[in-house]
Amino acid sequence: MLFISLIILSSIDFKAFDTPNDDGTSITLMWQSDENFQLFEIYRSETADGFFEKIGEVEGVECTYRDVNLKPGSSYYYKILGKKEGITVSSQVEGPVKAIVQYFNLSRLPMAVCIIILFSAIIYYITRAKKRGKLFIRKIPALNAIEEAIGRATEMGKPVLYVPGIMDIDDPQTIASMSILSRVAEKTAEYGTPLYVPTSRSMAMTMAQQVVKESATRVGRPDWYNPDNIRYITDDQFAYVSAVDGIMVREKPATNLYLGTFYAESLILAETGHSTGAVQIAGTAMPDQLPFFVAACDYTLLGEELYAASAYLSQEPVQLGSLKGQDFGKLIFITVIVIGVLSQLFKWQFFINLFNVE
Amino acid sequence: MKVILPLAIVFICGFYMLITFFIPAKFAQDSSQLLQLWYQGVAAFFVFIGIFNLIKINVDRIQRRLKDWEYSIILLSFLGVMLVAGFVGGRDSRVFLYLFENFQVPLGATMFSLLAFFVASASFRAFRAKTPEATLLLIAAVIVMLGRIPIGYLIWDKFPDLIEWIMRIPNTAAKRGILFGIDLGLLSMALRVLLGIERSYMGGGVEK
Amino acid sequence: MNIFERLSQLDRRIIFLLVAIAVIVPMIVPLNLPVDITKPVKNVYDKIESLPEGSVVLVSTDYDPGSEAELYPATEAFIEHCFRRNLKIYMMGLWPAGSELGNIALNKIAKYYNKKYGEDFINVGYRPGGAVMLLSLGRNFSDVIKVDYQGIPVDSLPLGRRVKSARDLSMVMTFSAGDPGIIHWIIYFHARYGVPVCGATTAIMAPQQYPYLSSGQLVGLLGGLKGAAEYETLVERRGRGLRGMDSQSIVHLLLVGFIGLGNVILLYQRRKK
Repeated sequence: MLFISLIILSSIDFKAFDTPNDDGTSITLMWQSDENFQLFEIYRSETADGFFEKIGEVEGVECTYRDVNLKPGSSYYYKILGKKEGITVSSQVEGPVKAIVQYFNLSRLPMAVCIIILFSAIIYYITRAKKRGKLFIRKIPALNAIEEAIGRATEMGKPVLYVPGIMDIDDPQTIASMSILSRVAEKTAEYGTPLYVPTSRSMAMTMAQQVVKESATRVGRPDWYNPDNIRYITDDQFAYVSAVDGIMVREKPATNLYLGTFYAESLILAETGHSTGAVQIAGTAMPDQLPFFVAACDYTLLGEELYAASAYLSQEPVQLGSLKGQDFGKLIFITVIVIGVLSQLFKWQFFINLFNVE
Repeated sequence: MKVILPLAIVFICGFYMLITFFIPAKFAQDSSQLLQLWYQGVAAFFVFIGIFNLIKINVDRIQRRLKDWEYSIILLSFLGVMLVAGFVGGRDSRVFLYLFENFQVPLGATMFSLLAFFVASASFRAFRAKTPEATLLLIAAVIVMLGRIPIGYLIWDKFPDLIEWIMRIPNTAAKRGILFGIDLGLLSMALRVLLGIERSYMGGGVEK
Repeated sequence: MNIFERLSQLDRRIIFLLVAIAVIVPMIVPLNLPVDITKPVKNVYDKIESLPEGSVVLVSTDYDPGSEAELYPATEAFIEHCFRRNLKIYMMGLWPAGSELGNIALNKIAKYYNKKYGEDFINVGYRPGGAVMLLSLGRNFSDVIKVDYQGIPVDSLPLGRRVKSARDLSMVMTFSAGDPGIIHWIIYFHARYGVPVCGATTAIMAPQQYPYLSSGQLVGLLGGLKGAAEYETLVERRGRGLRGMDSQSIVHLLLVGFIGLGNVILLYQRRKK
């Protein structure tokens, strides 16, 4: 079939440039045109007058294309063809464009600055705390209640159940939970109260065993440690929940501690625990699960309190200092948010652009 | 050495990962990806430790005829059946799929659906207007619950719009506030861990 | 003991029984309540309608049997819509059990629409590795995916050959019940490669996705069974989503009733004091 192909040069405003902040393997193409093309074909060549190989096509509504998997340091030439109803329009040839390796992602500079400021603030307060000693930290009722709850279990001659969430040790909440477990294990070992730690990940189990064993040794009760009480159940979310519910119903622990990452199982655990009459303390940084824990448990650590728990329980000035640094960070956040809102209102583009993070 | 070595690994790897986040160059990205792959490799081996622990505890329970030892037999039998079905016929064998579709799927769904019952009992017991804030929360909850169902739409056709607004504005605002706090807490904890101030997670607390 | 005191000590098994009745009765006697369509669901529908025939949609089933009740009906409705519009489906799963569930839905609907494996749809099965895997996947599919779920080399299938990187996809649809899931697709496929991402999540997770909806990082969202029911209404399919809506309506009303009753008891106890 014959069709007339019109070649009109330069009716597409086309440019090609090295993609900023990448590893030198891509070049970005951008174009604009008044015509309503159905599709664009993208062509590439290594020389200006060489063979242009078709590397892709995009729909007519698109106006950008990123050519990936290029050789860093090499130069390329590009052109695009816009097509509609038998008409083909070619852009000018753009190039040479060199794909350059970047050693710092400039779009992440504001983030780097924020992290440096925060880390500096935290380190400053830690150093200050070392010199001055005692720092004032507001009371966290849920953490004060932990010791009481362990005491209660001891008096009743019943075990303590510790659920470290359902995620693995690459989850920061699990790490935070292990730190709290270390304090809980110290207390339970001291009192000689059995401590059950069912885990849903084998690595978390190994870590929990180590933490509990060392805690028991530290308080001079290595004989109290029983590795069988810290056991792996299953990775399957709801099978794990049914096993933990089973422990609650059969062993009737007097105290249930849920600290770590939880999803839909939070309420199933907490309601079963409530029905067995246990004192329950929960803590998670999963905002969606907090309402369930608040409704069904006696005390709940809300979000950041979970991360602060270990520092709070240790009462070491160095650790408490980091919490002060965190508060300073909050002050910065609030200030930035206020300026951000004002910038949006008064169109302070410079400040808004600072936060265009990739 | 027992304490220093793990702390050194945490310090070096942690800060290295943080730095590579800002370096787009290939060597940085590839090496950080390699570290993550190592983690996955290590994690894969731990699956065996988990299964070994599970078998050991349950076999021990059966041998010593501890309380409820019969359940351990059921657990070990099904573990064996699923393992054999998976290894012999593969994940797409008829036996494996039959077991998956007719045991695992309904059992998982059963546990999940317990939520409906527990939400009911928890809302009856705990959802009470004890303070002005709790009252506000309660009103929002009732609106969202009614707006999410066809009956709500029949009662008042603006219910769905109202809940969209609640979800989009106050809910998102509150959630962002909580998330800021959480992220700051996370950063502060990360720094404590990286600097070795916080080490109780690896068993090494302060001597008392 | 008067009625309020009795009610305040209500055995929770009675509450459970009432919930069970509220769930079961509408299943036996359907009410066929009309379902209103919300914007996030309509956005998913419109996105599919806007794609040209033959476009490739990546469907990722990132859930397990626990959330099957909420997410499977949406999976079926979505696949049906894609096949009806003659779109190609590239299926995978970030959760081990999810890929099996996705496969059941895919094969069932494909059979009905006479779709051919390898040409119109493909399932590469469970892909472990979460974020790390997605990072490499977006860059180059063949780094991660060499064979499909049956062990057939993807290069021997036309659709497998066609999808080389994230750029070859017109859209990603994730049925997500947690981690890894919706957020990872946003980070690794939308933010990096600009692929439009839509999602379906459990009702409990839906509120968490609203910030991404308002920022446009997520095109549309099917939240819980209601989302599935809305989608079924849009694609004119009476599936488990719509059937479940009757039960959900009655249970929600019952919950509102329980909350009301709980507060009446609270008022009574306050007065008494």
